[in-house]
Amino acid sequence: MAHVVLKDLVKTYGNFNAVNNVSLTVNDGEFVALVGPSGCGKTTTLNLVAGLIPITSGDITIGDRVVNDLDPKDRDIAMVFQNYALYPQKSVYKNLAFPLQMRRLPREEIDRKVREAARVLDMTHLLERKPRELSGGQQQRVALGRALVRDPAVFLMDEPLSNLDAKLRVQMRSEIKRFHQDLKATIIYVTHDQLEAVTMADKMAVMNGGFLQQYDSPAQVFAHPVNMFVASFIGSPAMSLIPLEASTANGNTALTGAEGWNLALSPQNARKVAAATSKKIVLGARHSTIRLHKSTVPGAIPAKAYTVEPTGDVTFVQAFLSGAIVNISVPPSVSVAPDEQIWLEFDQERMHLFDGATEMALRAD
Amino acid sequence: MATIHNAKRRARRVDGWRWAGRIFLLFMLLYTAVPMIWMLITSFKSGFAAMAFPPEWWPKEPTLASYQKLLDPQNSVGQDFLHFFWNSLFVSTVTTILSVIVAVPAAYAFSRFSFPGRNFLFFSVLLRNMFPAVIFLVPLFILMRLLGLINTPGSLILTYMTFGLPLAIWLLKGFYDNIPIQLEQAARIDGATRFQAFVTIVMPLSVPGIIATAIYSFIGAWNEYIYAYTFLNRNDQLTLPIGIQRFFSENTTDFPGLMAASFMMSVPVVVLFLVLQRYFVRALTEGAVKH
Repeated sequence: MAHVVLKDLVKTYGNFNAVNNVSLTVNDGEFVALVGPSGCGKTTTLNLVAGLIPITSGDITIGDRVVNDLDPKDRDIAMVFQNYALYPQKSVYKNLAFPLQMRRLPREEIDRKVREAARVLDMTHLLERKPRELSGGQQQRVALGRALVRDPAVFLMDEPLSNLDAKLRVQMRSEIKRFHQDLKATIIYVTHDQLEAVTMADKMAVMNGGFLQQYDSPAQVFAHPVNMFVASFIGSPAMSLIPLEASTANGNTALTGAEGWNLALSPQNARKVAAATSKKIVLGARHSTIRLHKSTVPGAIPAKAYTVEPTGDVTFVQAFLSGAIVNISVPPSVSVAPDEQIWLEFDQERMHLFDGATEMALRAD
Repeated sequence: MATIHNAKRRARRVDGWRWAGRIFLLFMLLYTAVPMIWMLITSFKSGFAAMAFPPEWWPKEPTLASYQKLLDPQNSVGQDFLHFFWNSLFVSTVTTILSVIVAVPAAYAFSRFSFPGRNFLFFSVLLRNMFPAVIFLVPLFILMRLLGLINTPGSLILTYMTFGLPLAIWLLKGFYDNIPIQLEQAARIDGATRFQAFVTIVMPLSVPGIIATAIYSFIGAWNEYIYAYTFLNRNDQLTLPIGIQRFFSENTTDFPGLMAASFMMSVPVVVLFLVLQRYFVRALTEGAVKH
């Protein structure tokens, strides 16, 4: 296993910058998820690491070698593709053996390693089958096996679960996580599903528009998103983002909604607002940090329930506030009717404040 | 009750269509097979019986004389026939091999690489097929004379390749377009060079396309008449389509001999098709359904 360092990585197609100055370090044995919406450059970044497309500028280091100009075969990597890319004309056995044959290993060793990988992934009985005779989950496992059999320095995975149905996806998710824990493998994992990234990865790199937005542990990214994009992308349902206006009177700072209500801020939050470049502030709040009241309480803001979505465990209530949809979760015992008058209380400790002009998170220092 | 009744009615309707289809196919079969059968029957007749009226539907005295004559290296007719057969086989085989050698990398390049002028080049490849072949007869004759290729198999091989390649490249490109690029990427990561990935992974998957291309080139070259007739006039160089015509006129009205020669000429094509037809069908329908 080895660490991977990307330094100022750039990939341009004509005038289009697919990857913009991405720098990040994947430590030895770490599981890093590259996550972002489609077209954000995450797959391009992975292909650059794999060497499948040439880089425009920057450096990629795997282990202690700069691999910028090396062929994919010389980078000591293995890759699992979204469509698995199993060789259709070869049996499972030959699919697993192919990377070893290409490295001219002796036949007995190939046989031993293939059978070992098959045993680990519980598919010894499938070795003679052709890929098209396997289910999606089995194909996925063969793809993993083909990566595993070679004992590479780094595993690259490009949305390996997105072709599976929902149930199998959850199962394979835990299998891949287990696979990482057992092998202490260095894994770079591309996904558009933030839930996969949050549940599996040690660290996640959130990308958008070819730029790396934030690179940190899932807990940190969840608790301290650096900007509005990350805040809205990570977490489900998404964080509600409410555009407001800041005002200060008698030394007290408050946020004013389009409907005319005022939300007084704690001193800590007031200091954050003071750091903003303009009066425009965006309030970010996750559904679980907003309390819903059926009658007015001090500091709560009046709103009207718009839709109510019971899910069994928890009921989500949506309301419009200052032109934005606010998501609130309440216990299923609380019954709210559409168009009912409600009052919302924001948790000052756990609310996020963003600069409305720069979309960056505001800090108190 | 109602459902059973419905099921019966539906089954009957499908059957009606199926019978119509069968009758149509039977008609098509007769249309294509009867001339072949008549050719075969005539080839077993004597010269006299072939001209009889009313025609002998079945030869009264079947004879293999025509075949013996054609396949006997001792007499001049047999020598000529075997020689023409060999010439045709040589020209067609070389055309086929060269076409595949050129078409495979060309199609792969059109499918996988983006380079300036790719679309223009691709459509200009097809441009040739928009004109009747005869238009090129005189220009190509002049060109071949300049190259000193008149009366050599080379003139035909070059010509047949230019005619066969556009469709071959088109057909194969469709094949490569349908092979996911991730297969090659996987192979390259697994330790293959780009060329190895092509040879070990992509080529085997495109075998049906290559076979279809090969059949197409072979048959095109094997049956071609007008260019062979124009470029060749030395007896030892003639290909079968011209050769058959030649000894037809030399032997005045030897219909059984002509039919026997035609039959033997059709044998390689029929055999090729019988052996490889499933590849051919797969190649032509490839991409019609998403896998």
